[in-house]
Amino acid sequence: MPVMRVKFGPQHPISGHLCLALDVDGDVVVNIEPDIGYTHRGLEKIAENRNYVQAVPPLERANIVDSVHMVLGYVEAVEELMGVEVPERAKFIRVIMAEMSRIASHLYWLCLMAVAVGLETMLMWPINDRELLLDLFEMYTGARITHSFFIPGGVRRDLPQGFKEQTFRALSYLEQRLGDYDRMLYQSYTFKIRTQGVGKLKPQEAIKLGLVGPSIRGSGVKVDVRKDEPYAAYDQLEFTVPTGKVGDSYDRSVVRLREMEQSISLIRQALERLPSGPIKAPAPSSAPKGETYSRVESARGELGYYLVGDGTTRPYRLKISSPSFRNLPAMGYLSKNVPFADIPVILWSLDLWPLDMDR
Amino acid sequence: MQLWQLWQSGYLTELFIKVIIFPGLVHISLVVLLAVWFERKVNARIHLRVGPYHVGPVMGFFQPIADFVKLIGKELIVPEKAHKLLYKTAPISALALSTLSFAFIPFGVIGSEMSLPFIPFHLSPGEYWVVYYSNISLLIVILLFSVRPFIIIAAGWACRSKYCTVGALRTAFQLLAYEVPLLVAIVGVVMVAGSFDLVAIIESQSSIWHGVFQPLGLAVFFVAMMAEVSRRPFDLPHAEQELVYGWATEYPGVLYGCFMMAEYVDLYLGAVLMTALFLGGWLGPAFLPPIAWFLLKAGIIVCIVTLLRGVFPRVRIDQLLDAGWTYLIPLALIQVLIILGLAHVAPGLLGLA
Repeated sequence: MPVMRVKFGPQHPISGHLCLALDVDGDVVVNIEPDIGYTHRGLEKIAENRNYVQAVPPLERANIVDSVHMVLGYVEAVEELMGVEVPERAKFIRVIMAEMSRIASHLYWLCLMAVAVGLETMLMWPINDRELLLDLFEMYTGARITHSFFIPGGVRRDLPQGFKEQTFRALSYLEQRLGDYDRMLYQSYTFKIRTQGVGKLKPQEAIKLGLVGPSIRGSGVKVDVRKDEPYAAYDQLEFTVPTGKVGDSYDRSVVRLREMEQSISLIRQALERLPSGPIKAPAPSSAPKGETYSRVESARGELGYYLVGDGTTRPYRLKISSPSFRNLPAMGYLSKNVPFADIPVILWSLDLWPLDMDR
Repeated sequence: MQLWQLWQSGYLTELFIKVIIFPGLVHISLVVLLAVWFERKVNARIHLRVGPYHVGPVMGFFQPIADFVKLIGKELIVPEKAHKLLYKTAPISALALSTLSFAFIPFGVIGSEMSLPFIPFHLSPGEYWVVYYSNISLLIVILLFSVRPFIIIAAGWACRSKYCTVGALRTAFQLLAYEVPLLVAIVGVVMVAGSFDLVAIIESQSSIWHGVFQPLGLAVFFVAMMAEVSRRPFDLPHAEQELVYGWATEYPGVLYGCFMMAEYVDLYLGAVLMTALFLGGWLGPAFLPPIAWFLLKAGIIVCIVTLLRGVFPRVRIDQLLDAGWTYLIPLALIQVLIILGLAHVAPGLLGLA
């Protein structure tokens, strides 16, 4: 049979708006060409045409399931440029929000991974449990997904009454549910034979390809911005960085599950140690001349913001280095001579989010 | 004149009742609707959802009917480059083929005299609920079961779409590979019963079900049947995540409805065959009529198959073929050897003496 080119996306049940052009020989994919850009919105340019606070709402649209980290990276960069010191309480609130967003994003990823191997039950369970976190977000910020709640200098408002109790309730429920996911999906024989040994990356290969986040940690490389270059209040909290051993799709999936457990513990610690005090520091409306590169550990990996100020109220240049874009080369590297059915598994084990990729 | 005689003898009425009502079209359609509803409702409960709710008197019971009406109402969009004749006839022939198999399956034995007022109709005790009685009925059913891959290949090819072609080839692989263990699993039963006649096979189980001494055969038949009717975890033909909807991607409206219905009819056919071959068919304690026993057993199998959908991820095509050739066929052959040994050592145990 001759090699046939099949378009996998941008309209496809599993690929999102990512288009992969597959060269298929029978049931084997011999070559793959990612074709990105279907959701490019020019958010960097939009942000350059607004002042520093106004840039927050468009920027969080870059990755809607992990919007808190998109904003967190940006405000960290702006604060670094302006030289603003954030109050302690705001730092802790940022950790709480960021980790909640990480869990919500990983739950979303989990349902897509389950769909990639064809188990609808695990599509419904995480997406339902994610509502708990969205309810918490709504209770605090009034919005479920697009909060725009971090501003240069701190956070907009203080935590509402009863937030701590409700969060603890939600977290203990989630903890129990993570065990359910483990039994339902991770311990399932079929899931194991579908993911173990699929998309295997050695640590050296992963480093060479420049992977970030859970994708590289699945290969056993301990890279985490929260540990390496702590921001917000991460230097005051205890957590471990889970890593995989083999570096296949299964390990990358397990790393994300363990990360959710770590996030739950982080939120608990942060809520218990929450210091009192102000929640925002006055920030100037214009940044001095200069440039900065700030990075945070988003749910998909290291998210970098390169920011150039020119003394006005608007950024001169803003560049996002998004984790999905940095993980994309691995997709092409791993998808040579693999069965067609492994493509969705590899795609979602790397958690390539097209919105994040295109910005 | 001959027609009048046929009418007078009650043959026409009997044929009508058997073809249209039981075990014919009405019965099959009802079972399919019930299976669709059950699958949706139960899977929704596994997903922690409510499932169909509003349509019908209780628990969205009429939802499958509403869906089917919706499918009928949809516009038929035929792809420009499709082979028009094949494209339109493949779904209908798939459904017809699946339904045809039921003409040869006996669903029960008539216990007491049956007749109708005003209409000449007469069924005497000892006759069977079967449209066409044949002494090689199992062979015919298996033959009809084996023709399906060709219709699916034709359907996939007729669309001239890449997803359909890949999906059709994949389906052909799967169905052809799993036909072998399915047939080998049946061999043990046919050997013990000494006949290809489904009635004889069921009645040979009056002392003990074939499933008791042939658990391996039963298991192999169950797994191979799941693969043959493309149910999760073997629903690769429709692997939505890879092939959109496999070979049925391009089929709209009622044509897709035909395929879907054919799939459920096949599922029911598999369950019915399993009941007849391994689980004693209509045999059972006397507090229920024979037909009820048959439908109950087949219904339970359909329920189990639909339940499995909620807990299993899908396997990959190479893993599926590996499992078929390396596990199922040897297991089925071992079962045949065991039966041969048992028949030699203790024929009384199998009811052969």
